[in-house]
Amino acid sequence: MIFIDTLLLGISSGAIYSLMALALVLVWRSTRIVNFAQASQAVLSTYIGYEITMRSHNYWVSLPLAILFGAILGSLIDFLFMRYLAKRAKSGPIAEIAPVIATLGLLGLLQSIIGLIWGNSFLQYPTPLSGKGFTFGSHTIPFSPQNLFIVLATAIVLLVFGGIFRFTDLGLALRAASFQPEIAQLAGIRVARIRNIGWAFAGAAGAVAGAVITPTSVLSPNSLDLLLVSGFIAAVMGGLDSLVGAVIGGLVLGVGFSFILQYVGSSVTFLAGFFILVIVLLIRPRGFFGHQVGRHA
Amino acid sequence: MRKRRFTSLQRGGLLLILGILLLVTSNFVDELRSYQGAQVAVYLVAISSIILLTGYSGQISLGHGAIMAIGSYAAALAFSLWNISFEFAILFGMVVGTIAGFILGVAAARLSGPYLAGTTLALAVGLPTIADQFKVLGGEQGLNFDIGDAPGWIKRFEGSDFTQYRWFFWLMTLVALGVVWAITNLLQSSFGRNWRAVSNNPVAASLAGINVARAKVLAFTVSSALASLAGALFGILLGIVTPSAFPLTLSFTILTGAVLAGVGNLAGSIVGAVVLVAIPEFSGALSTHLGNSQKVTANLPGLVTSLLLIFVVLFRPEGLWPKKVWKRSRQLNN
Amino acid sequence: MLVQRRTNRGLVVAALATALTLIVSALPASALTIHRQDGVSASTITLGITVPLTGAAAPGYNKVPYAMQAYFNYVNDNGGVNGRKIKLVIKDDAYNPVLSKSVTNDLILKDKVFAIVGSLGTAENEATTRFVNDHGVPRLFINTGFSGFANTSKYPTTYTLLPSYVMEAKIMGQYIKDNFAGKSVAIIYQDDDFGADALKGFAIAGTKFVAKIPYASGSQADPTVVGKWISGLAAAKPDVTIMFGVSSASAAALGGSYKVGFKTQWILGSVGGDGTTIASVAGPTAVGLLYGAIGTSFLPAPTDTSDPYVAQFQAINQKYNSGVVFDNNVLEGMNTAMLTVEALRAAGSTLTRASLMKAIAKSGSTFASAGFSPLGYSSTSHIGYNGYWFGTYGPTGAIKPQGGTYTLYTTDSASGAVSKTTSTRPAMPEKGLPNN
Repeated sequence: MIFIDTLLLGISSGAIYSLMALALVLVWRSTRIVNFAQASQAVLSTYIGYEITMRSHNYWVSLPLAILFGAILGSLIDFLFMRYLAKRAKSGPIAEIAPVIATLGLLGLLQSIIGLIWGNSFLQYPTPLSGKGFTFGSHTIPFSPQNLFIVLATAIVLLVFGGIFRFTDLGLALRAASFQPEIAQLAGIRVARIRNIGWAFAGAAGAVAGAVITPTSVLSPNSLDLLLVSGFIAAVMGGLDSLVGAVIGGLVLGVGFSFILQYVGSSVTFLAGFFILVIVLLIRPRGFFGHQVGRHA
Repeated sequence: MRKRRFTSLQRGGLLLILGILLLVTSNFVDELRSYQGAQVAVYLVAISSIILLTGYSGQISLGHGAIMAIGSYAAALAFSLWNISFEFAILFGMVVGTIAGFILGVAAARLSGPYLAGTTLALAVGLPTIADQFKVLGGEQGLNFDIGDAPGWIKRFEGSDFTQYRWFFWLMTLVALGVVWAITNLLQSSFGRNWRAVSNNPVAASLAGINVARAKVLAFTVSSALASLAGALFGILLGIVTPSAFPLTLSFTILTGAVLAGVGNLAGSIVGAVVLVAIPEFSGALSTHLGNSQKVTANLPGLVTSLLLIFVVLFRPEGLWPKKVWKRSRQLNN
Repeated sequence: MLVQRRTNRGLVVAALATALTLIVSALPASALTIHRQDGVSASTITLGITVPLTGAAAPGYNKVPYAMQAYFNYVNDNGGVNGRKIKLVIKDDAYNPVLSKSVTNDLILKDKVFAIVGSLGTAENEATTRFVNDHGVPRLFINTGFSGFANTSKYPTTYTLLPSYVMEAKIMGQYIKDNFAGKSVAIIYQDDDFGADALKGFAIAGTKFVAKIPYASGSQADPTVVGKWISGLAAAKPDVTIMFGVSSASAAALGGSYKVGFKTQWILGSVGGDGTTIASVAGPTAVGLLYGAIGTSFLPAPTDTSDPYVAQFQAINQKYNSGVVFDNNVLEGMNTAMLTVEALRAAGSTLTRASLMKAIAKSGSTFASAGFSPLGYSSTSHIGYNGYWFGTYGPTGAIKPQGGTYTLYTTDSASGAVSKTTSTRPAMPEKGLPNN
């Protein structure tokens, strides 16, 4: 029984990591940038969702609007910052870490702006779904309708974006724009616009993550920080390139954490995360599903 | 055209004179400036560890805060548990940090860009939690690392009001100058040339007979030695070593310092270090000016730092250091 | 060769710059001498506090300094202390000892505060001790119950206010013996000095546990961790479960047990029992879960308007801290501020750090405050309160004393007995303005 409960706990937190990992992979696939600002973008979208819920008293109204806002925010960030970054910091040692630094800067910037507007206190983002676990006979499992919703949301995001990348011209253009921007440009793809769409997609996915996860905990400017770390580890484990890899990475990490918690101890989880990651990367330096002999990033 | 060249010895002499000048100056400043000066010196060492790694060997680390933690904990353990004198405690911290850095470096050399970033990030978050696992590491309360006042001979020389912070300023400034001297020498050696070759073009470097993996591992190891030294000094400055002294933000802070410095520019590291210390001061003054409301007090430092970072990557990717000097130092990269 | 030479010069420039900037960074501030009587002028007294305004520990505690400020403003508007107005400098340390250390540097060296008042946290206060001692800065009424701070030779200028966690645990142990004899007991506790102090107290009280669940500070934010607490509890099936942690951990424990339908008689420690904080962390539903739980405090219930102190503080809160919900944090802040004003008044009009500490030693035990337990200040003791009362949470999350009256248990941090008394605190000075 404890085994099953532990597994369920792992799956529900794994689904959460997967959602964040998906958002990171979406930006990576279209721009070759690891977007650390994703956490703050998602939080800002969630604050917008929160404000809408407070006014409309309806979570289901706020959800699509928050996602829309997330997409617009992602697109804006590309339009206002990242586009210039690619032009300015392209040579020397800075080029390697400029995207990391820029997105870390954006992370801090958005979080301070959120703090200045809403303050640093915790807010509650209410949801109509129950947080009480399903009951089978006398046993209540640690898996609630809210958890189920998160798992479903992960699956939907995976299917929608996976479908776009695989089956549409847009998806092809997105992949081309990131792998070989010059060639894509020559082939008539408007690289800048395509990348912008990539940022919007990722912003939307991040907003989904924020809006479905936050009701299970609290809303604050930093509330998704640790999730960003877990999401990043999951995405790296999955290979950064692969949406399916991100989900599997998230689930492996979630279930791994859960069992380590249950059977080893509470304070070593992230260290265990580090070791899981190192082992995975030593066996497959580009993750489960990354292109093993692809170009150097 | 031939201009004067400084030998390693001359540079050392120069630095020594400057060091003495600094120490004399410290007699005329108050304790707050002494503390900040010591802080600058510690950041300087930490930032140069990143510059060596990223600027000169092309590897990225989001986890140098964790390596600082290793140096700090090892030194504090040696000091408080085994009663070793603080000088040897610092050395012990460096040794342990260097070994850890070597092990990490071996793993790191296999990984590229974001994969390395992810691994080091996980380390930065995960490592400090070890302290909760072992009673000897003191848990959340941490370990005492109060090295006390300056040795008697300095006090006799400087007077009994030679405060602890001034003593830290002396100690850490001297160490920082020593580090600068050591790195300048190292970068001019064949190791330094190999690293630059590897970071500029790994394929060409390996064709030229450089063992790329070995050069990378070595760079990571040396960088870790510096980071753990910075960590040990940081622990002394704080007087206590706790897991919360090494949050993820510490890794980001020193990375920020390196970017402000100009990542490939050792000369800029001092600018990075000073700015890191100045930011809270500046935003504190600004927040008082803006009326000290809770929202402003809590969020202004973050806002200032982030705006500065974004400004630098977008408009001065070569760092805050004056451009002219930078151009010169860039040539040595290419 | 060309490149080589440039390298050399670039690096020398670097070295020069390094040294010069270190000098300059050290220059601006003026001459050294340590000012032993900073922070007092003819018209003002400057005090400082470090407290988490950001980060996981901020909710609840971030209200304390602003409540203190509100009370000081109220006193300032009524003539101040011996003609001086009180200014409170508030610094955020994010509950991180390293930050506490650097902002305390700022408080003492830059803001030049006269004393530090109400700074929060065990490790946080520990980290700043050396510097505070070196400068002889009084550190009044710190917000931690770690019993170690009672050591006056190690912490000569530090005054505690909260009863220690050892006292609290001993008292709770006695309470369980009195009310739940023969029942099985479990505990969830924070795995640091906070929890270690508690376990020490329970050991003295002879409380036996069927399950002991430690958690790392901060890990309560992870639902997986909380899930494990509850599965551990469910396996041990305790009749009574003690939650000895911060409010966010209490909220997590209540929420987690609701999720899986686990039932027990909860007893919340004083640190983790604030209803409004629990609501802000875990949402209004968690307040409902508080219903029937047992809590403990040394101050009156913040909702008890029949208490003169609470009524007065509520009025001050409305006027000087408007828009802020009056809860235990606000009550605690105002109470600390009131004690501070009394200490400053007792030190007389030629206010010095030495006269302040002498005044607390002499008359500190007679200061009026909202706390029901007597204050233990004397020339040999820096310990504040030493007792707790127990209450039950109602459906709205408000705590009410059991049996309708505040029955106090008092004890010490060592092996002394626990005794039951009815409170005899000094009457509130008129309008809440100290007149000592």
